Amino acid sequence: MTATSPTPRKKYDLNFARWVYENVDGGDRMAKCMQCGTCSGSCPIGDQMDYGPRKLFMMIRAGMKEAVLTSNTIWNCVSCYNCVVRCPRQVPVTYILHDLAALAVKEGYAEAKTADNARFAKAFWWSAQKWGRTDERLVTMKYYFSTGIGDGIKKGMANQKIAMAMVKTKRMHLTMPHKVKGTKELQAILAKAHEIEERGNNGQ
Amino acid sequence: MSHQGLSSQTIAVVGGGISGITTALEAAEAGYDVVLLERSPSLGGRVAQLNRYFPKLCHPTCGLEINYQRIKKNRRIKVYTMATVANVAGSRGDFTLTVTLSPRHVKTTCTACGDCAAAAETTVANPFNYGLDQLKAAYLPHEMAFPMRYVVAPQVIGTPEGERIKAACKYDAIDLDEQESSFELKAGAIVWATGWQPYDAGRITPYHYDESPDIVTNVEMERLAAHDGPTKGKILRPSTGEPPKRVALIQCAGSRDYNHLPYCSRICCLASMKHAAYLREQYADVEVDIYYIDIRAHDKLENFYKKLRNDPQVRWIKSKPASIVPGPDGVPLVCGENTLTREIYRTPYDMVVLAVGMQPSTAAGRPAMDVPMDEYGFIVPEGSDGGLMSAGVASGPLDVSMSVQSATAAALKAIQAVSGRARP
Ligand SMILES: Cc1cc2nc3c(=O)[nH]c(=O)nc-3n(C[C@H](O)[C@H](O)[C@H](O)COP(=O)(O)OP(=O)(O)OC[C@H]3O[C@@H](n4cnc5c(N)ncnc54)[C@H](O)[C@@H]3O)c2cc1C
Repeated sequence: MTATSPTPRKKYDLNFARWVYENVDGGDRMAKCMQCGTCSGSCPIGDQMDYGPRKLFMMIRAGMKEAVLTSNTIWNCVSCYNCVVRCPRQVPVTYILHDLAALAVKEGYAEAKTADNARFAKAFWWSAQKWGRTDERLVTMKYYFSTGIGDGIKKGMANQKIAMAMVKTKRMHLTMPHKVKGTKELQAILAKAHEIEERGNNGQ
Repeated sequence: MSHQGLSSQTIAVVGGGISGITTALEAAEAGYDVVLLERSPSLGGRVAQLNRYFPKLCHPTCGLEINYQRIKKNRRIKVYTMATVANVAGSRGDFTLTVTLSPRHVKTTCTACGDCAAAAETTVANPFNYGLDQLKAAYLPHEMAFPMRYVVAPQVIGTPEGERIKAACKYDAIDLDEQESSFELKAGAIVWATGWQPYDAGRITPYHYDESPDIVTNVEMERLAAHDGPTKGKILRPSTGEPPKRVALIQCAGSRDYNHLPYCSRICCLASMKHAAYLREQYADVEVDIYYIDIRAHDKLENFYKKLRNDPQVRWIKSKPASIVPGPDGVPLVCGENTLTREIYRTPYDMVVLAVGMQPSTAAGRPAMDVPMDEYGFIVPEGSDGGLMSAGVASGPLDVSMSVQSATAAALKAIQAVSGRARP
């Protein structure tokens, strides 16, 4: 695991806000947040977030690094962009939440492994980087079984009907996974991107 | 009279709201010739459309009436209504303004008896009440109009109804043939006092202003509370005509918002508190919720806020509502996050009032010359060659007392400009 923020794995980090302003995508605009609540009020699943974006942003300012990176708010964002289009300060809330989620993964917080959306994101990425495409069947399987074999079978059985309907309407297929043409090139691009990212992180 | 190379010492004031009136009077009473140009049929601007004004809750007609008396007494002020400036040429000391006069179709012999209105059948949306009711096509702009003279709407010109309206006038004051005309005006300095317009609430799409009659704006609320408004001063829920039991006042509706007006209009917090006071004065049982980001009651206005804070039927909710949606049976639901409790609310109200901000008039039409403006369209208080200035809300979001201060300052600057005195 690479240390990304200046003082990783700290409960409080008084430099955290500055770090977010300077390193998180859209973080510079977060400095303009006036705590009006439009984001949390616009969120279709706002009542399923422990803090919601507005409070999370205040917690960042207060240096509550651990609480921020272990919150479910960063994982529950569904990227509907309601908050982004309505924010009177034009803060790209969605980008910020996603970047914070990535940071939580990098810093190895347990919540970043156990959160439902973290598991799903992992399965999605596994397929995307392997084939350049998401394979509905394998992504779903990988996600279902991420919580254990028994649990995976249970979830699979419960959703059998949906799966069959998807196969019937050709939304899901049972043959070899579809691939992009140049998977080798894709992987080279991803490796390079990873390298650049690491270089950026270490350069700070 | 030529004075130190200045060919005109006249001061032209564009806009006859409280600011333009003040500049005109201050300059004229100091001995300078002033021409006051007002676009609408009456002076008074937006202040005339307020029910009462903070902080003392006095009636605007009172303050305006005193000023009208001063204008009447002063021979140095020439007032043109229904006048706009089509073009400006020249520079300090030597401007030529091309002034366009729209036809009023009513001459100065009008006694405001109202016989013409009685003869009219066609109705037009009443601009004074923001279109909340209708007016006869021959109308007095409002009770306190200055000049106190009727207007015949263009809709009836060239119709038999127009002829009937003309025939009804005992004083032969109606001129159906009047055409748009223009004249040239020489001036040494120009003061832009063109004021503001309410921000278009329909543009704040999550608030669904256009979809519910019970969602109104703050300027409409002023008319609903005014005795000469569409409801004769009784604040009633527009959809039912019943007294409202629960009312939400929404601050910063399209203000401090990069998607709309990025700046704070400064007066809306106090205006809404005034609306809470109107409601509480009319109804002992009404509950008023004020949704705000933060309350901006600057300096002496803090007392108004403190007093209202003690009213248990006025609740203060620190939150900018995310949306206002017409719920089942059309009842508006105000939705958002209470930022002090983190509660996600969805609260029904009988009426919702959007506190929209003041947008400079230049947003609707650029001035007839290249005046220096800031990024929002407010005209900077002092032009480069010293011959152009702005006053009141044309220069920035101000309340009436600040507008009057700014207008007095503009009068002094204009006097300096036309008298050729150097300024530091
Ligand atoms: C809801 C609400 C409530 C308010 N309540 C209060 C209050 O209680 N107390 C208070 O102190 N302030 C209050 N205000 C603020 C107050 O309305 C302004 O301070 C005041 O109107 C400023 O006057 P003005 O003369 O600068 O502009 P305006 O009142 O806008 O007057 C400008 C005049 O210029 C004319 N004009 C515009 N363009 C042209 C043109 N191109 N050519 C010729 N004429 C033109 C217009 O017709 C108008 O007559 C309130 C504002 C709002 C939105």
